[in-house]
Amino acid sequence: MNVAIGLKDLFSVSPLIALFLASLIPITVKVLNGNREQNPAGTLWQGVGGMLASAILLMTVYLLVRDQDSQTAFAGALLIDGKTVAVGVLALVIGSVSLFLMYDNPSTNGEQFSELVFLTLNSVLGMLILAAASDLIVLFIGLEMMSLSLYLMIAMSHEQKLSKEAALKYFILGGVASAILLYGISFVFGSIQSTSISVMIERTPELLASSRLFLFGISLMILGFCFKVSIFPFHTWVPDVYQGAPTPHSAFMATAVKAVSFIAFLRIMESKVLGGSPALLDVLQWMAVLTMIVGNVGAIMQNNFKRMLAYSSVAHSGYVLVGLITVGLEPTTGSIVVGLGGSSSVIFYLVAYSIMTVGAFAIVTLFERNENSVIMIDDLAGYARKKPLMALSLTICLLSLAGIPPTLGFFGKFYLFTSAMQEGLIFLSLWGMLNSVIAVYYYLRPIVVMYMREGEPVEAGKGMSATRSTVFLCAVLILVLGALSGQLFMLIESALTSGPAVAAAATEAVTN
Amino acid sequence: MILTTLVFLPLIFAVAVMFIPRASLVRPIALGLAIIEFLVSLFMLSQFDSKTTGLQFVEQYPWIHRIDISYFLGIDGISLWLVMLTTFLTPIVILGSWNSIQDRVKGFHACLFVLQTAMLGTFLAMDAIFFYMFWELSLVPMYFMIGIWGGQRRIYATVKFFIFTMAGSILMLLGIIYMILLTKEQLVFQAGGADYRAMSASLLDFYKLQIPFVSGDFFSPQSLLFWAFALAFAIKVPMFPVHTWLPDAHVEAPTPGSVILAGVMLKMGTYGFLRWVIPLFPEATTAYTDIFMVLGVIGIIYGALVAMVQPDLKKLVAYSSVSHMGYIVIGLFSMNEQGVTGGLYQMLNHGISTGALFLLVGMLYERTHSREIKRYGGFAAVIPILSISFFLITVSSIAVPMTNGFVGEFLILLGAFKYNAWIGGFAVIGVILGAVYMLWMFKRIFFGPKGELANDVKHPLHDLSKREMTVLAPLIILVFWMGLFPGHFLSYSKASVENLVNNRANYELQTGAK
Repeated sequence: MNVAIGLKDLFSVSPLIALFLASLIPITVKVLNGNREQNPAGTLWQGVGGMLASAILLMTVYLLVRDQDSQTAFAGALLIDGKTVAVGVLALVIGSVSLFLMYDNPSTNGEQFSELVFLTLNSVLGMLILAAASDLIVLFIGLEMMSLSLYLMIAMSHEQKLSKEAALKYFILGGVASAILLYGISFVFGSIQSTSISVMIERTPELLASSRLFLFGISLMILGFCFKVSIFPFHTWVPDVYQGAPTPHSAFMATAVKAVSFIAFLRIMESKVLGGSPALLDVLQWMAVLTMIVGNVGAIMQNNFKRMLAYSSVAHSGYVLVGLITVGLEPTTGSIVVGLGGSSSVIFYLVAYSIMTVGAFAIVTLFERNENSVIMIDDLAGYARKKPLMALSLTICLLSLAGIPPTLGFFGKFYLFTSAMQEGLIFLSLWGMLNSVIAVYYYLRPIVVMYMREGEPVEAGKGMSATRSTVFLCAVLILVLGALSGQLFMLIESALTSGPAVAAAATEAVTN
Repeated sequence: MILTTLVFLPLIFAVAVMFIPRASLVRPIALGLAIIEFLVSLFMLSQFDSKTTGLQFVEQYPWIHRIDISYFLGIDGISLWLVMLTTFLTPIVILGSWNSIQDRVKGFHACLFVLQTAMLGTFLAMDAIFFYMFWELSLVPMYFMIGIWGGQRRIYATVKFFIFTMAGSILMLLGIIYMILLTKEQLVFQAGGADYRAMSASLLDFYKLQIPFVSGDFFSPQSLLFWAFALAFAIKVPMFPVHTWLPDAHVEAPTPGSVILAGVMLKMGTYGFLRWVIPLFPEATTAYTDIFMVLGVIGIIYGALVAMVQPDLKKLVAYSSVSHMGYIVIGLFSMNEQGVTGGLYQMLNHGISTGALFLLVGMLYERTHSREIKRYGGFAAVIPILSISFFLITVSSIAVPMTNGFVGEFLILLGAFKYNAWIGGFAVIGVILGAVYMLWMFKRIFFGPKGELANDVKHPLHDLSKREMTVLAPLIILVFWMGLFPGHFLSYSKASVENLVNNRANYELQTGAK
């Protein structure tokens, strides 16, 4: 096959190029200045500026290619569609926020801050590739680029023993998962003689009936993704890694990495593989059921704040998996306007989840004195008296994680379970609801400690204004977007269904 | 706009209270704001048309377009007095807690106002998801009120309260989602001359649904939905056997928390039965009424018996609530005009008399710092005015004629006898038991030889202050006003109740004239 690289292709990947070039600036400056950290604030703004430029380019590209017949680049290897943009922008925003957290945090803003910025930007670059991947090999490259940068980021801090352990654990298990994924891709390639995801989606119904190898391959791919998004029984690394890694990195992993991996997962599920394979459907349903309960029960037993958040993030993966199963079951065409689309619900949930989780992790970084700090829930005792605004913001984040209305988290769950019920997943929805009651118990604990116990909470630093603003902003966003959840949902939905399709579906709905 | 003002004004107050610069100003300003809110509700009452059965002052705006969830407020004869009760009790509670709340005063009043918004929203929201939002939101401020300003075991009590009620209502959310999906299948809407199908969460659309019901089949959709909703409301009421959170919450809550909890929050449960369960699932309600009647009677007698043996004054009042709420449940489920009217009336009575009882218990506690009944005794001679007030509220609670309790209980018993003589008969036993535990308690506290507390020379007892009299006077006046002239109140709800009882099988709630 002769691939000619045209101008349009280059234009389509301009967000990626911009991000990569921006990532080079801080380390180049550092090397030119005798390998010494020059000006952390400047480095920070270089990184954030790069992300911002990339986000603007990404949206421009999307707006220009949206109404064209082909939104792909490089002979169908990359796809710039609504999902790419929605998740790409989410990843860029969270990446920037994480940079601010890293800049504020004493355990990450040391001698190697420039390298950290370089790695973060490259990790986000991997995410963008992953989000845009329309080809299995590109998908794999994106995933590895994201993960390898992360392994390094976690391992880079030089004092903490836990972070070394975390990095090694993450690296080995991640490597195994990547191998499984690649193995699965090889089987799929063997069945369809192509690595294109659109070809795969097209031929899935036919191949599911005829080819066991294909089913085997796609199942392996799903398992590989289950590791990345911490689905039971592949969740065991999560608590250790989130706890061991510096907290800004944990926040980054729990939100951006997870959201983007879920989107890649979503693209696989859109092949409607579940409709043709009841066995796989059963397995995934059980995995969702167990992920929810294991995450929630695990979180109840934690006294370490970060570890609790890690388990809670496992539980939330279970909720999102319910959404993915919904997507896998949905009919390909038809009731888009009358029903709630599963994909939109999943992305809505990921946005909501990211906002509230970043807020909760950011509070932890306020307490982190140095790399070896262990933040217990009880360390928050009396926090409401000392820092009422921070305590209130954390309370809002936690209530949102627990799904109490009128927060964004409630609407996330509401849309997710409404679309699940629509596909007849009543038991899974019921289970998800019951689990959110269990979850209330541990989300209330920090609130109890902050407001109802007396104590002298000791924050790590005086300033950290960026971190504080992040927490506050998350709380405000939770309430504001909660009130405007309908608009946010429609925005996501219109991004997912490109222009002509929406109009067609709308006319269909009116005539029905 | 009046209902929006009514619901969201307290929320603005809550924010405003946080910005009051001097702590000493918080209470007077909060009191003033609460009175303003009450005046707004009085204005609404003056405009209310008691003749129409439909919803009045309706405000409906699309909120979440995708599922037609709307910002939908409306009021009818069923919710009218509950709204009035809420706005009436809040200033009383603020005045009543003048001295007892000393820590984090701003936060306390902010919680109170947020709670007021949540409660009013629950009574006024006519859209399922909008309703559910307020319903759940009401947990949060109450959680903080018990947890921060409560007694010794407050954290246990408040977490239990939160999880119990949340566990109940989460199934209701699932039920609401199911019904939203059902609207898409069953209802046809019209816009611009064309028919279309859409999901809707409006209560008025829910009433139009034909929810499949198979007699004797527990797993038919209507039965399951019935239980999903009924469980949420039964826990809130609370009905036997899911009442266990209530004594803990009441005992640990600060006095104002107890008053609001007993006075208004429990009514959210009974209101839910009346607004949601009974008209939405008529066949299932008929099928399971017996269960609710029996549980109601068990609640009446069990609550009374347990109240009788309580050594703790506040716990006694808490269990008396369980007993009283049992009456309301059998009144509502008797499903005839007398029973439902009585149930509705008794909701208000219970709000006033039990609210007042909790205030009085709080006043006693402020003087003695003890709630153990056996340490009391002989108080009548020492603090006569408090004793008289306590007595007047006691007679209201045991439903002596001329007080409000009599009207309510009489109507309920009438309805219960109409439904089934056995249910009525057992309910009457509860009336006797009620008199026993209340009067016995009264005797042990106020009569007899002076007890340990009355003789305490170090802490001499003083009678009601002017502030405390101001707190109690409106409540006592209402006890007799409602007892002597029930027509003043019932005439407003008559049309709505009649409509509900007579057209239960295919109930339709319209948006009325205003």
